Amino acid sequence: MQRLLKYLTLYDKILIVSLIIVNVFFILFPLYHVYTGNQDEVGKGYIVIRNNGKVEKKIPVARTFREDPLLIEVEGRIGTSIIEAINGEVRLKEAPPEDPQKICEKTGWISRPGPSIICVPNQISITIEAGEDGLDGVSW
Amino acid sequence: MLRTRKIAIIGLLVGIGLIMHIVEGMIPMAAIIPGAKLGLANIVNLIGLVLFGFAGGLQVLLLRILLGSLIIGTFLTYNFYLSLAGGLLGYLLMSLFYYRFHYRFSLIGISVIGAVFHNLGQITVAYFIIANIGIYYYLPYLILLAVPTGIGVGLVSMFTINYLPEEVVNSA
Repeated sequence: MQRLLKYLTLYDKILIVSLIIVNVFFILFPLYHVYTGNQDEVGKGYIVIRNNGKVEKKIPVARTFREDPLLIEVEGRIGTSIIEAINGEVRLKEAPPEDPQKICEKTGWISRPGPSIICVPNQISITIEAGEDGLDGVSW
Repeated sequence: MLRTRKIAIIGLLVGIGLIMHIVEGMIPMAAIIPGAKLGLANIVNLIGLVLFGFAGGLQVLLLRILLGSLIIGTFLTYNFYLSLAGGLLGYLLMSLFYYRFHYRFSLIGISVIGAVFHNLGQITVAYFIIANIGIYYYLPYLILLAVPTGIGVGLVSMFTINYLPEEVVNSA
């Protein structure tokens, strides 16, 4: 160790020490974000409500992070559906009474791109679309 | 006569680099941090740079990567591009610092710079391959490991050049 220090010039030492400090910082900085639960990834998508095949409403998921649930009423073919969204999750709260089976109500909450809530009699569908076309994983 | 000697020494350096390239693959550094390597082959690039200047070192580097990938069987695969990009970027920065700041940095410092920018080049190419910016979170871990390996490589290069006979060093 003594011999090693003899070979290093002043600038070498500055370079090595600063590299170590900067990189320890860059290792700890993202971890800090992980542990404090920074949810950058959540809330970039959109809740898309389609009525009779056409996009009726497109709401950023970020807008659902609030105290009281966001209630949206959509006039469908046989009646009014009430959609509830809060904390990044969305469900169809109340299907119109004319809906015989109310499958859309029973679907429950969705919070990710992929599953969808579909109300066939009322011709309403709710999906969540990712804000950016991110990849799940890459392999070769 | 000098030209022949230069060709012979560059050939020797490429040969040593190839051996190191293969020996390095046997040392399980990846158990500590996946993707990490000792960078032993950088020793010959550094010696080539010191002995024959920019062009000589570049010859050693390119020949070593080309032949090494042909031997291991990764020619024109992702591994090849990764090591080519890392090697070139590391070598360019090493020669820049070697010629510009020779009086400030010893070979150890220059080798550390080479190791760091080798990783930067590799990660950048990896970013273009997998198209995910998150790969850069991995860079600090690699650079943190590149510092000690860079010091080791620099020490080896420095000792080697000190022990080389006078006529080899002056033949360039």
